[in-house]
Amino acid sequence: MTRTRSQWWLYAVLTIVLLAVIAPFVWMVLGSFKTQGELLQTPPTWWPQTATLDNYTRLFSRLNFSQYFVNSTIVAVAVTAGNLLFCSMVGYALAMLDFPGRRTLFLVVMGTLLIPGVVTFVPLFVLVTNVGLANSLPGLILPFLVSPFGVFLMRQYISGLPRDLLDAGRVDGASELRIFARIFLPLCGPALATLGILTFLGSWNNFLWPLVVAQEESKYTLPVALALYSKGQNSTQYGLLLAGATVVVIPVLAIFLAFQRRFIEGIATTGIK
Amino acid sequence: MSSTTEVTPSGATGRGSSPRGKGGDTRPASNPGAGASRRRQGLAAWTLALPFCLLFLVFTAWPVIQSLFMSFTDTRSRDLRTPFAVDIVGLDNFTKAFSDPIFRKSMLNTAYFVVVGVPLTMAMALAAAVALDKGITKLRGLFRLGFYTPVITSIVAVAVVWRFLLERDYGLINTVLGWVGIDGPNWLGDPNWAMPGLILMASWRNFGTGMIIFLAGLQAVPWMLHEAAAIDGAGAWQRFRHITLPLLRPTLLFVSVTTAIGYLQFFEEPFVMTNGGPLNSTISMSMYTYKQFGFGNYGLASAMSYIIFVIVAIVTAIQFRLLRENT
Amino acid sequence: MRRTSAAAVATLTAAALALSACGRDNGGGAGSSETAKDISSGKATGTLTVWAMGNEGDILPDLMKDFEAANPGVKVNVTAIPWDSAHDKFTTAITAGTTPDAAMVGSTWMGEFAGLDALDPVPPSIDTSAYFEGAQKTNEVNGTNYGVPWYVETRLIFYRTDLAKKAGVTEAPKDWEGLKSMAKAMQDKAGAKFGMGFQAGGQGSWQSIMPFAWSDGAKLTKDDGKAYNFDSPEMLEAVKYYQSYFTDGISDKAAPAQPTTEPDFKSGRVPMFISGPWMMSAVEKVGVKKDQYDVMPVPAKTTSSSFVGGSNFAVFKKSKNRDSAWKLVQWLSDPKVQAKWYGMSTDLPSVKSAWDDPALSGDPKLKKFGTALETAQAPPSFPTWEQAVAGFDTEMEKVTKQGADPAAALKSAQQQAESVGTGQ
Repeated sequence: MTRTRSQWWLYAVLTIVLLAVIAPFVWMVLGSFKTQGELLQTPPTWWPQTATLDNYTRLFSRLNFSQYFVNSTIVAVAVTAGNLLFCSMVGYALAMLDFPGRRTLFLVVMGTLLIPGVVTFVPLFVLVTNVGLANSLPGLILPFLVSPFGVFLMRQYISGLPRDLLDAGRVDGASELRIFARIFLPLCGPALATLGILTFLGSWNNFLWPLVVAQEESKYTLPVALALYSKGQNSTQYGLLLAGATVVVIPVLAIFLAFQRRFIEGIATTGIK
Repeated sequence: MSSTTEVTPSGATGRGSSPRGKGGDTRPASNPGAGASRRRQGLAAWTLALPFCLLFLVFTAWPVIQSLFMSFTDTRSRDLRTPFAVDIVGLDNFTKAFSDPIFRKSMLNTAYFVVVGVPLTMAMALAAAVALDKGITKLRGLFRLGFYTPVITSIVAVAVVWRFLLERDYGLINTVLGWVGIDGPNWLGDPNWAMPGLILMASWRNFGTGMIIFLAGLQAVPWMLHEAAAIDGAGAWQRFRHITLPLLRPTLLFVSVTTAIGYLQFFEEPFVMTNGGPLNSTISMSMYTYKQFGFGNYGLASAMSYIIFVIVAIVTAIQFRLLRENT
Repeated sequence: MRRTSAAAVATLTAAALALSACGRDNGGGAGSSETAKDISSGKATGTLTVWAMGNEGDILPDLMKDFEAANPGVKVNVTAIPWDSAHDKFTTAITAGTTPDAAMVGSTWMGEFAGLDALDPVPPSIDTSAYFEGAQKTNEVNGTNYGVPWYVETRLIFYRTDLAKKAGVTEAPKDWEGLKSMAKAMQDKAGAKFGMGFQAGGQGSWQSIMPFAWSDGAKLTKDDGKAYNFDSPEMLEAVKYYQSYFTDGISDKAAPAQPTTEPDFKSGRVPMFISGPWMMSAVEKVGVKKDQYDVMPVPAKTTSSSFVGGSNFAVFKKSKNRDSAWKLVQWLSDPKVQAKWYGMSTDLPSVKSAWDDPALSGDPKLKKFGTALETAQAPPSFPTWEQAVAGFDTEMEKVTKQGADPAAALKSAQQQAESVGTGQ
């Protein structure tokens, strides 16, 4: 049948494309086992000529890497949890409830979706410092606990859920908040997975904000530490950089692997398509 | 703007046949005792919205207002400790931005990047999604993960690798071009080729996101329609053109809007790869704005960021207008 | 701004917006020179927070153990900061009033930070004549010193000695023509693709061009140090000379954004370039042997004078432990400590007498850096320097890559610099 033959070709093409797409990723991992000299060689090598664990030992011995790892995790988990909770709350209100100011609230959320981050950066820093949150983990977390995008996503998804559930809940005499928490929230799995992955990814990789807010190394996150140790004023330690980048990407990769099906389902059903 | 919200839920998504509410804009059916119910609803709604509103007002609305204020003043970095002891200069910062040849150049560069980059990224994303959705049956998860890795790979690693890929003499891309007899350009060193190089890299980095969304959208395309068309003798391309594409229109627009918003603010690629060069051929609006912040010209930089905001808003509005006309 | 609650700030802005009650105070700022208080005698005490960048920040804690041993009552907390974003971090910290007690500060940032009224003037008991003059000058803003040089670097010309021999050059050239013909010979006789690895304009290229201009006696300021001066005849001569390398094909006008200096030096593709002392270990790391290359000063037109860079150490006005912070700076300037720090970091000492240490005076290449430091110069310490020179760098890119007229380019650079102003 023609279908099988075309599939065979497709696999070949896809495999070639796949190799091209993941090549930089693979090169990053392989590069983390190379020496600085080899990384600067021309033409560049693919497999490490003399594989070394040096970069990793330096990463974990010299630097307080486990501390940064813990900080990154706390921040990313808190930010993700906050977004999941608060954005679904507003999203539900916007999608299902009728209240004065709803339209305005929604327009404001949509408007801020378009504002470039660079606009608010400096005023935000001055603000965070003035309320005494500089150099603290809350200072890293609070400004990111909600996002317009999260609200939009949750609202779109919940709009697509059957309204009958709301009326049924009311008939049963459940309070409005209970209807949200017990009936609708459990149905939001795919959307929460989508929002969760995107938020975690963003928080995990966030660089500039933790850099200026965390003033002591004990508050640094992974990307800040990575930039710190791998780049000098006039030189870059590529091996260390690649080893660090590999360590940073692994948790994200694992989370994506674990949730990818729900992630896609979430996008499929949020109505953002 | 509100047109999005009305259009999107109407696209069937294949989540069974459960009837879907028409979204937030329909009012609940009025029932007896509506007044009390409405009050109760309003109270519940604002309770639910309260944490968001508080955080939003403090950490988003306030800085936005302050920077808007800054854009009409001559604020420099030294003024930030006394933010109101500055002179109001009206629209000076905006006229200054528009008369700056490098800012104008950065607008052209950004337009170039968006006009070429968005379609290319979308085409790659769509091709990958179609291939994975209907073309193959095995190893889908593997390919999906593989195509998504560029999205989650750190930009620093991406930059290092792509610099090697785009190298003139021994870079992978020029080596491959050499096999078919093409003498590859000096990508990042040539003002005419640096931008195409960055567009290629950005498309590679971002098509995974679009692919995932297209994969989701494709679940809404009923397989039966394809089967029927195939029996009628329609080829694969015809089926794609006349069945898949029209049904994907809402998804296409969503991807094009989000990609365009991202690309209009593109920053990281030139920041790590070319620093805006050679000859300012890759400097983007966001990057130039960031530079002005770095120089301490906060008033000017704020004005520039609001110019970007207005452009993003206009482009988004145009895209939604197109959507409304076509559906 | 004192610590105010967000609400109070919000009310303030609302009022300000409504009334437009804004306007600058006239005068004030760091426009005029300051006099410094002296520091108390005795040992340093209390806790000190210190910021340092990159590698320095990484290893400074080891050196601080010595300081703590010498001053039993003191505890130093070093925070390491990534170089790439150190400038942003400093300016935001200054804005918010969250600066450390003392910090390593990039030598071109002094004017800006002093202009932000963030730095404490150097107390009179610190002898500023102990440092290399060019490096010391980077601390001087409007006649007041706001810090001291901590370590220095300068730019010399690196060349492959084995290839130079092949090209028939046995002695380092003494003038501009000699340098150019040496680079040309590298191409003609020693198989080099490009004789000289000059940067083709773009960010930071002034650091390669200015050594030539300074060696011709150029001055970057005029009107008593009150204005930029990019279009002097000496500058024009230097830029024309620099451009000729590109028009004659000796330097690569299409070099990639990310230079491949080390591998090109190793392979002999580009056997000469101009750079700083860190390049010695960098080229040795890729396999260039110690006896395969050497460094030479930038040849003189009138007098050889290179660029001096490096980092300073400064104390912040907001410091609650100012005296101890200055004692730390004083200690860091001790010749013995400077020599020890060189051993730990390979950062070149800013204190002249530290160069008598055998670790430094015994290395012939290092010695050439030491000699060059005596005459090396730094750009003016105007707060707007980075912005002004960005225009110059862009113009230089046009000159090298597109063959733009040097005179017109310098004129344009000067206009841009004037519109930016010195910021003082």
